[in-house]
Amino acid sequence: MAEQMRVVTKDIDVPGIDTLAVYEQHGGYQALRQALGMEPAAIIDEVKASGLRGRGGAGFPTGMKWSFLAKGSPKPTYLCCNADESEPGTFKDRMLMEKLPHRLVEGVLISAYATGTKQAFIYIRGELLYAAQQVSRAVAEAYAAGYAGKNIMGSGRDIDVLVHRGAGAYICGEETALLESLEGKRGYPRLKPPFPAVAGLYGGPTVINNCETLSTVPMIIANGGAWYASIGTEKSKGTRIFCLSGHVNRPGNYELPIGTTFRTVVEEFGGGVPGGKQVKAFIPGGSSTPMLPAEKLDISADYEAVAAAGSMFGAAGVIVLDEDTCIVGAVLRMTEFYRDESCGKCTPCREGTFWLVQLLERLEAGHGRPEDVALLLDICDNIAGKSFCPLGDAATSPIVSSIRLFRDEYIAHATGGGCPFKQRALAGAGSH
Amino acid sequence: MSQEPQGVPLVTLTIDGRSVTVPQGTVVWQAAQQAGIEIPIYCYHPKMPPLGACRMCFVEVEPMSPPVAKPPQTACTTEVREGMVVHTDTPLVQKSRKGTLEFLLINHPLDCPICDKGGECDLQDFTLRYGPGASRFNAQKRHFQKPIPVSENILLDRERCIACQRCVRFTQEIAQDPGLILLQRGFRTEVGVDPGAPFDSIFSGNVVEMCPVGALTAKSYRFISRPWELKRTPSICTNCAVGCNARIDVRVDRILRLMSRTNDAIDDGWLCDRGRWGYAAVNDPARLRVPLVRRNGTLQETTWDDALDTVARRFREIAKQHGAQAVGGIGSTHTTNEENYLFQKLLREGLGTPNIDHHHGVFPPASQGALPWAFTGTIAGIDRTQEIVLLGADPYERQPVLDLRLKKALRNGAHLTVIDADPSRIERLAGRVIRIKPGTESAVARTLTQVVLAENLARGDMAARVTDEYRARFKQFTPERMAEALGIDADAVRSLARALASADGAVILYDEATTRQSGNETLAADAFELALLTDHVTRLHSGVGPLWEDANALGARDMGVLPDVGPGYQPVQSPGLAYEAMLAGGVRALWVMGANPARHVDPAVLDALDFLVVQEMAMTETAKRADVVLPALSYAEKIGTMTNLERCVQALRRALVPLPGAKADWEILRGVATRLGLPWSYRSPADVLSEIAASVPLYAGLTRATIGDQGQRWSFADALEPATIR
Repeated sequence: MAEQMRVVTKDIDVPGIDTLAVYEQHGGYQALRQALGMEPAAIIDEVKASGLRGRGGAGFPTGMKWSFLAKGSPKPTYLCCNADESEPGTFKDRMLMEKLPHRLVEGVLISAYATGTKQAFIYIRGELLYAAQQVSRAVAEAYAAGYAGKNIMGSGRDIDVLVHRGAGAYICGEETALLESLEGKRGYPRLKPPFPAVAGLYGGPTVINNCETLSTVPMIIANGGAWYASIGTEKSKGTRIFCLSGHVNRPGNYELPIGTTFRTVVEEFGGGVPGGKQVKAFIPGGSSTPMLPAEKLDISADYEAVAAAGSMFGAAGVIVLDEDTCIVGAVLRMTEFYRDESCGKCTPCREGTFWLVQLLERLEAGHGRPEDVALLLDICDNIAGKSFCPLGDAATSPIVSSIRLFRDEYIAHATGGGCPFKQRALAGAGSH
Repeated sequence: MSQEPQGVPLVTLTIDGRSVTVPQGTVVWQAAQQAGIEIPIYCYHPKMPPLGACRMCFVEVEPMSPPVAKPPQTACTTEVREGMVVHTDTPLVQKSRKGTLEFLLINHPLDCPICDKGGECDLQDFTLRYGPGASRFNAQKRHFQKPIPVSENILLDRERCIACQRCVRFTQEIAQDPGLILLQRGFRTEVGVDPGAPFDSIFSGNVVEMCPVGALTAKSYRFISRPWELKRTPSICTNCAVGCNARIDVRVDRILRLMSRTNDAIDDGWLCDRGRWGYAAVNDPARLRVPLVRRNGTLQETTWDDALDTVARRFREIAKQHGAQAVGGIGSTHTTNEENYLFQKLLREGLGTPNIDHHHGVFPPASQGALPWAFTGTIAGIDRTQEIVLLGADPYERQPVLDLRLKKALRNGAHLTVIDADPSRIERLAGRVIRIKPGTESAVARTLTQVVLAENLARGDMAARVTDEYRARFKQFTPERMAEALGIDADAVRSLARALASADGAVILYDEATTRQSGNETLAADAFELALLTDHVTRLHSGVGPLWEDANALGARDMGVLPDVGPGYQPVQSPGLAYEAMLAGGVRALWVMGANPARHVDPAVLDALDFLVVQEMAMTETAKRADVVLPALSYAEKIGTMTNLERCVQALRRALVPLPGAKADWEILRGVATRLGLPWSYRSPADVLSEIAASVPLYAGLTRATIGDQGQRWSFADALEPATIR
């Protein structure tokens, strides 16, 4: 079997790597030591040179994000680690926090130093209790060892790190909703501008980075931006942790260079589809990214190629749907998620997802009509680009992309008295 | 009278082909409003920051360069830019708005025929103008139990709610009281109250008015009228001295509700619950409708002619028998300027008595020259003040809408000091709370002045006039001595004095009632002096003065319902008896117009009078003891003017058909005046106002036209010499 490329996940399988002692034996916190000897601007330059882009989904260049931080604000600067990993099909941050919490803490500390931040927050999805316990313990160990807190490693710099558990809302992964939540308010996205880099947490300039992004920073400092930039494609640098799920034999997290084909991810690492079935479609970046047909498995998994294929690399949550998957049923399940997780602030997302679910349920149950397909698309058109935050757009992406690929299957649901896959399964069961 | 920030650059943009110039920072919605172009909104409210939640106000903004088609923008969150080209009626805009309306309607019940909001509902109206003609929704609507109470006075029909958050944001951001919150998430979102913190706000009624649909309804108005059956009259609220602008909505012979009639300079668009729902006395079936005259010890119904004849005859008899000094009159803080003016004129000219007064706080004699009882600043000016001092004042309880103004100032960065014997709600927002013993506000004010003098912080015109002798008068009021004597924090007092002496703007407010407390007899002068020495009397965004209790408390004074001065504080030759003296056996015959002295003195004093006449709406404790009771009209049934606590003269308009049998106070006065042989030819209060405008310097030139819909403030420049230190 092909080997993963361990950069962020280096030493992840070393027993006890989640403890400070073992992490230090494997070079832990050397990058922090090294960083503290550098000018903050030099660190930002190194990260810029690495070509690292945000791993939360939007793929914004990390070094550039840091350099956008407002200078000369009378309010303190904050760093927030977005570890509210909630996108269906993603589970990489969870693994990093559970198994390699010190790498995240080290990354947070280096990034805080680079951005002139004295107070960093790690916002962890509420459901990820073990991850929060692991990160909290790692933070406590870092404090005890002098890596965090006052005068870290004798550098004269103070950096505090606070772990905060979310209360269970997908929307809080949206960066401004995360800030609201962190401030103790209802998790609603904020109006932009002002952007967080200008006025974020408590009105101070704030940088918000994903957990994987920050966990990558120590490796960039340790090995150099140029080294990191040597991995990946021309425009998409480095590795990504592919969260592989759905109809594959070996679901899981695989760290691979960007530019690996999805077919390699699915077949070599995921071991192909169970029962030797065919891939019907796959979702490249988590449930909010448009579905792609099986033939697109051969494209390179990088930001540009996935965009050219009509989807988004997102959080690299690759979901595989086999030939026996009912697309309407799968899309209904995803749409229910967006309906339940819509924060309700804006009308199109709140009401639109409610309506979409009813239409999909009706199709699935055999009460739909062929014209419902056009209605679904028009509702999606009234949500996408009309909602307050990207969650509304995200909610439409499974529907719009799947109708583009499998319109006939939708029509068959409407004309054939419901889900043909369920009917087939029932017929099959009856014949035995 | 909106105060536009100075020095903000202007931006010119084009909306639907119309050129509009607005200050930088304005949002497109407001610019369109200015250009007379309607953009529908639900979540946006001009008094709150943009939210961008309802997605109704879509417009299309022409791309600058390169020309890339962009999704529609929300007009409420998009700031204007120079040269911006906005379209409000493109196919994209139409489709986007239709989409939002369709979404709002899928879960909205079609109970418009029985909904109180039907006919004045933004969802109904915008659906008509921008919505889809038919619904494509044929699935299951969300259902809720209906209605549920969110407070004693307000009910919530959750299925009608469109989650625009106006109500929630009002209670949280404007009123800052325990109020409405959002519960649940997504399509399950509902407005509600925290079980641990019930909706407890004197401003609660505003949420009913702000609700764009029929989700929040007032118990008082539920299912009692259709909006098109109402006659709407722009007038003012007479519940307290703030003088909020209100629209009085009546049907047939009853007031059904008061709605805000936004006056940014006074109420900022809000009403308090006391004012909004305080019209029961007008609708009260027990109101007086027939004049009463005491015969054989009991009050008996009679004709107006008989009642007015009796009043004229008895007053003339008593004045003849015992001299005009035996007659006195108590005017009203609830009736109009015109009526108070006529009242004092009738007593002075018709009966020849100088005994005229009304119930009021303790102030220096009006004849002294200064006018420390008139707030020297403006309500709107408080918005941008830096230091607020509540010196024995609790606007939340007494002048509620002013409390919202203070909170607005605090949001703008002002600093609040509360000096009070009792805790108050606003204290939690105060930077300094100085707890004192009752009646020591005056001493605290003097202590503040002492610090200003001792530390040479005096500024303004008065600084040069401070003499050693003057300084010596405050010698004993050192913070340390006062700390010991009054149990207050010397450092807090000292830091406040310094803050006042350096602030660009400061307002010092005390309640009229505080001046009546023993020990506070000189409070008005002490506060005024403090403001003078720190230069906060006439400075922009500064001011000092009392917060009155009643709607026309200042007007009654302005009109000379005082023993020592006539209208406009013109001194009279021989001062008469004051309120307390008249009620302590000083007169034999007393004329009471719209007042209830039985609340303040032993009613037996009233029984001992030879003759008591009372003009009143209801049978008060005082009226019960009268010899003649003259049924009066309410503020809603007559015209006239009142003067609010910041000197703004505002017009009352007749909203309601006068109660049959009752007469306006001015008509009653005219009736008696005629019988006393005075050549009064006033046809209406407008004639009286003309006379006031011609003869009272403070009110010079006022007409109903200049007062208009938003009032006209009298100015100190037209008054007497500016005040000076004693």
